[in-house]
Amino acid sequence: MKEKTLADYKAMQERCCNCSYCKWIPLDKIKSNRFAYNCPANAYFKFNTYSARGRFQAGLAVANEELDYTEGMTQMVHSCLSCGACDVACKISRYNLEPLEHNIALKADVIEKGHTILAQKVMLNTLATEGTLIPNMKKADRAVWSEGLGFKDLAKEKAEVLFFPGCKYGYDKTLKETLRTTVSLLLNMEADLGVLGESEMCCGGRAWQMGFEKEFSKTADINISKIQKTGAKIIVTPCADCYHALKRLYAERGLTMEVLHVVEYIDRKVKEGRVTFTKPVNMTVTYHDPCHLGRQGAPFVPWNGTEKKIFNQIHTWEPRRPRNNGANGIYDAPRNILEAIPGIRLVEMERIREYSWCCGAGGGCGQSMPAYAEWVAGDRVAEAKSTATDALVTACPWCNGMLSKAVGKDGETMPVYDLLELVARAL
Amino acid sequence: MNNTIEKLIKIAGEGAVQFSEDAILPHIGNRNFETPMRPMAIVRPQSGEQVEAIVNYAKENGVPLVPVSSGGPHYSSSSAPSVPGAVIVDLSGMKKIISINRRFCMAVIEPGVTYGQLQKALADEGLTISVPLAPKINKSVIASLLEVQPRLNSVYQWNYIDPLRCMEVTWGDGNRMYTGEAGGGVRDLNKQQAQGKWQINGAGPMMLDFCRLLTGSQGTMGIVTWASVKCEQLPQIHNIHTVESPSIKKLCDFTFEVLRWRFSDELMIMNAAYLSTVLAEDVISKEKIRKQLNDWQAIVGIAGKEMLPELRVKQLESDISDIAKKLGLNLSPQRKEIEGADVLGRITSACVGTHWRESYSEEFAQIFFVTTISKTEFFVNAMNELAKNAGYPVKEIGVYIQPQHAGTSCHCEFLLPYHADNLAQVRELFFKASAIFSEMGAYFARPYGIWAKLQFEKDPLAAKHLKTVKKIFDPKMIMNPRKLSTATVEVAK
Amino acid sequence: MALVREIYKEFEEIVGIGNISEEPVVLETYRCVAAQSSAHYGPYDQRTPTPQAVLLPGSTEEVQKIVLLCNKHGIHFKASTTFWSAQGYIGSDNAIQLDMRRMNKIEVDAKNQLAIIEPYAIAAAIQAETMKHGMTCNIQGAGGSTSTLASTAGWQGPGPSSIFTGTNYDNMLSAEWVLPNGEILRTGSAGSGDGWFCGEGPGPSLRAIVRGVAGTAGDMGVCTKLAIKLSPWPGPTYLPSTGAPPSYKADLYENFKYYTLCFPTWEAWAEAVRMIHENRIIYIGHRQFNMFGCDMKGAMVNILSDPNKQLCDLPDLLEDEEIKKQTESMRIDVQVVIAGMTMLDMDYKEKALDEVLRMVGGWKNEMMLKPDIANWALLYLIRMGRKNLNYVYCGAYEGHFGLSRGNYFYSASLVEEASAIKREWEIKHNHMAAVGGNSSMGGLGGVGGGGGVSWEFFAHFDAHDKESIKGVCEYFNKTNQWMAQKGLGGCMGKLNESSRRPDGYNRSQEEFNKTFASTPQPEVFVYQWMVKDAFNPKKLSGSYYKTLDPKAFVEGSGAASRGVFI
Repeated sequence: MKEKTLADYKAMQERCCNCSYCKWIPLDKIKSNRFAYNCPANAYFKFNTYSARGRFQAGLAVANEELDYTEGMTQMVHSCLSCGACDVACKISRYNLEPLEHNIALKADVIEKGHTILAQKVMLNTLATEGTLIPNMKKADRAVWSEGLGFKDLAKEKAEVLFFPGCKYGYDKTLKETLRTTVSLLLNMEADLGVLGESEMCCGGRAWQMGFEKEFSKTADINISKIQKTGAKIIVTPCADCYHALKRLYAERGLTMEVLHVVEYIDRKVKEGRVTFTKPVNMTVTYHDPCHLGRQGAPFVPWNGTEKKIFNQIHTWEPRRPRNNGANGIYDAPRNILEAIPGIRLVEMERIREYSWCCGAGGGCGQSMPAYAEWVAGDRVAEAKSTATDALVTACPWCNGMLSKAVGKDGETMPVYDLLELVARAL
Repeated sequence: MNNTIEKLIKIAGEGAVQFSEDAILPHIGNRNFETPMRPMAIVRPQSGEQVEAIVNYAKENGVPLVPVSSGGPHYSSSSAPSVPGAVIVDLSGMKKIISINRRFCMAVIEPGVTYGQLQKALADEGLTISVPLAPKINKSVIASLLEVQPRLNSVYQWNYIDPLRCMEVTWGDGNRMYTGEAGGGVRDLNKQQAQGKWQINGAGPMMLDFCRLLTGSQGTMGIVTWASVKCEQLPQIHNIHTVESPSIKKLCDFTFEVLRWRFSDELMIMNAAYLSTVLAEDVISKEKIRKQLNDWQAIVGIAGKEMLPELRVKQLESDISDIAKKLGLNLSPQRKEIEGADVLGRITSACVGTHWRESYSEEFAQIFFVTTISKTEFFVNAMNELAKNAGYPVKEIGVYIQPQHAGTSCHCEFLLPYHADNLAQVRELFFKASAIFSEMGAYFARPYGIWAKLQFEKDPLAAKHLKTVKKIFDPKMIMNPRKLSTATVEVAK
Repeated sequence: MALVREIYKEFEEIVGIGNISEEPVVLETYRCVAAQSSAHYGPYDQRTPTPQAVLLPGSTEEVQKIVLLCNKHGIHFKASTTFWSAQGYIGSDNAIQLDMRRMNKIEVDAKNQLAIIEPYAIAAAIQAETMKHGMTCNIQGAGGSTSTLASTAGWQGPGPSSIFTGTNYDNMLSAEWVLPNGEILRTGSAGSGDGWFCGEGPGPSLRAIVRGVAGTAGDMGVCTKLAIKLSPWPGPTYLPSTGAPPSYKADLYENFKYYTLCFPTWEAWAEAVRMIHENRIIYIGHRQFNMFGCDMKGAMVNILSDPNKQLCDLPDLLEDEEIKKQTESMRIDVQVVIAGMTMLDMDYKEKALDEVLRMVGGWKNEMMLKPDIANWALLYLIRMGRKNLNYVYCGAYEGHFGLSRGNYFYSASLVEEASAIKREWEIKHNHMAAVGGNSSMGGLGGVGGGGGVSWEFFAHFDAHDKESIKGVCEYFNKTNQWMAQKGLGGCMGKLNESSRRPDGYNRSQEEFNKTFASTPQPEVFVYQWMVKDAFNPKKLSGSYYKTLDPKAFVEGSGAASRGVFI
């Protein structure tokens, strides 16, 4: 597959109309001034430069060799969380721009030209040596979490379902029990479950989000080969980042297996009547849509085409190009589960579904720009608290981690749950 | 005969200049306790060209000019000179209705055109124009609009200056021009109208809003010689209703709700003293009417116009009645037992015959300002308290509230009748109440007389900036000197 | 050219580290690309000059300190909010850009039907905040993503709902300014601390010097706060919507209805608009979807209201017989929303609207009554959240003609002739999207109570295609000539050109003198010169505030027989 360079985006850079819609949630959805913003980088760093529009304009200047990368510009480029909120907002009215794709292309360009943030280098080194993007983690410890659970080792035997926990769940000790409970749940649902075990490695999605295309490609190709060999029919993952990598990025590179987030899997089982929640969980909760499960969670649809102008100047694509605008993400499955649990009352935040606010972990910024990422998470916590809810629920360990860290910063704490924890309580 | 008078005669003609005692006397004002000043002469120009020539002469020779458009008697202090030796530029003879355009509901009129005259001409075309409360028959429409008198049906008023639009003005520096949309075209009204331009947009032209330098200026900036005004459809059905209450607060809540949904045409609140004063022909009938009234009443006009008038009136009556009921009030058609009082005719039409102010042997002091509807009750209570302390009978204080005036402001007005024997008492009360209201947050947007000092002391920056602007448009400070207090104080030479 | 270090430090001390930047990439992104966000400027293949620094002030006090420092050092400045158009950008090399985004507060005073807003409060957010109190605001034509303060204080401010809500010109109450000389001006009641409810007086209104028919586009200081008048919103406390992106639909009650009204002739159209206007029937009135072109609008509405359709569906949809029929039915149309404050009010308005149609022989377009389309259009018009559909075809558009001139009968009578000019260009050249010629659009409430319209045609072009940019520029030369022939003034597409050169730099006083000395009433520009001279003596601003030197007035032919200024 041909990797695009920044120069390939010149048409988009010049066709961005500076309307600023990329800075706001879709305007139709605004319910307050406080939670109207959608772009964390623009909201935190404030200058227009940090918005998708600013990135188009900066990218154009780079492509035209009018700007050189400086330290400040490098930081600007990498501050994009790759959350895709700008992408959804832009595509409310534009059919010929891909802001998220361009943001990542700009990152790839700055990396290509040798400009990265120190923390990113550490992450990438760990990926190369230990197969994970989480610094200080060891390859040898990867499967420790699953000891005693009675999984099938897919390197040795066959199973219908490949369970892919991802790095965050796999290594984070605070999430270990949740993960183990989850697997027990799945096993109780009579899932024919297996894991890659010690040969599992990072999905690489975070590297892709950071613009490290080559590193991602290398990781993805190794993983795809391993996964295809297992002969499993379905991959299930509890991580939104892994889900996005497997579902969309790997599919683009040839993975043909069905990919489900664990909430989809459970929702399916509930609908089939295979699972019934019996124990009440009495609380009011609000649900945080992970970016890579929600607006970026739509299935990959292959396309290989070109631009075609009709009626003199109207831009279209030939053949029809799939639109990744957040319309087909995974929003209902987690909500269906919450609504099926007796005692739970779901109240929504203002920014939800395709226009959800990022938790701050995206684009590796949780590690590369921690103060900024924590501010982003804090904004989400503030939004959750404004709903007068008892708890904040999500379906991604990265979101869980960021939100949990931010939740007590204002002196008022609030439980943050992975949806799976509530499922476990309800069974 | 001095040089000025000779020159004025040369410009406007012999019959157009007066300087006899009889002619001058009505212009020596004693309005709201201002010190009367004697003008030198009265000139009655007949055209914009003559006005331009008069202003240029005055500019060259430092002659103070005071523009007046309405016929007498004059109640507004803005038309009374504040310096001796001024020339009154009396525009009341410029009475042409230049054009009426039914399609665009626009009319172009000269400054001497009165409400009585204009309403009659507009009625022939199926139009009318919004009015201030019970204008006198010879009240100049343009003067009323430049003074920004509150209109009764303010729901139709889009902004502060409505229904005033474009104007021809000669500034104090002697330059004559058109304002608003008309200022962007040739300086020839006939040619503009022949091109299909009807002086609809009063803003600008360009980025300077010339009209707003004239509104509220009390003749200190320039002299207007024609203006276009936005008219309205003449109602096919026009009913008047009242909502009575012993509580002003309830009526404020009621008018807020009515305005909030843009219901009603005329809408105002008056106490018994004010309404009976306006409705009556004399003191005896005033008392008779007053006895029939509750302490407070909201007057609600409901009109059906071009489109399904019956249905519209029915709907409005029902919806407004519902609002009243929710507040424990009752919307009732004009009470027949208010003997001899044609409420609608009296308050919305130019008074035919004697104006109510002339019906009484009393004089009237007026205090008015703008505030918000939510604050009016406090001002009323304060006024009552001040009157009590001063020994003035509270029941004689008239209160008129126009709940929405010029956008969101609320016009709050007190009427204090007095005789020669309690003049000093009322004078003191007037000054004291004005000062205390100012401290309470009353905004004297139209700062006549002493109110200018009170207001500009609260806002010295406005005075400073206004002085800068005044110097641009009236560099020799000849236009109604000393008006607006500190903002024009450098005049008196 | 970078700022002298000491001056940069002084600015930094005012706004704080992190709120000032001279990073090259930041400066680059504060340049207006005239082909992309032209807003009646060009289109040109140019960018505005690079600012020396970009500052983000957080308070009026900070703005005042910045302006005083600019006066001290002779540095030009321009404040902007959402950077929607060329007007917000600097026009000289010796200038700093103020981005007002840190000042974004909205305070609603429901009891007195007003809101106090700061520069970066966008219209959609203001509407959302006011809806909580049963109110709404006029959303300017530039749409929900733009600053209401900028539109109110800095530019014109009509919008689709202006026929009901008034324009931003109408709704401007008290305002706070930092004048170009660094002094503070608070217009109306706020000046004396009496509240924000009245923007006028005491006496003459000082508002006159900072806002005429249009605002001064950032050339007379910085407006830091103002109050706006609100209007009733008879709906829920937020704007409910459903559906998948991008085709969200309003989910409102029966007291809101959307219609596309259609007419047999332009005369009937104008007469209907007159009646609708004078009888106060509608809540929103806008000729909206014709901006896609009279041949395209039926198909485009089908695309935009269906999340599964795209622009590539246009050719097939245009061949659809039913869509063809519907498009033809709404060739002379206007979009309206009626809103009942009560159900009786709704009943009256429905019947009155039907009566208007009966009287002029008009009809409601059937396709636009389909719930999926009607509710999509209803949401569109209430929130104005899709203003960037202006760019949907090619990524760029420019308004032109501008058939306002105060009244709709006159504008309507010229539509077909203007359309023919555009259609001819579409056929002969490929510079712009060929949409059927007529792409006239605009609101009915250009003058609150007076029945004006604010109309423009859209030319959709490709900012990535230099030939397209150049060709549309040539087309505007032609439309400009036509406008002059008709006595309509300059073409809207060239509006900014009189204030800013094609290369993005300010116009000089000499250029202004040449242009304005021969205007019919040059006094207008002389007074603007004098006001600017009094309040902006160092001329530290752009050239949107057009002025004529008094000396040039004396020399100008138009002024020979008039009074003099010096």
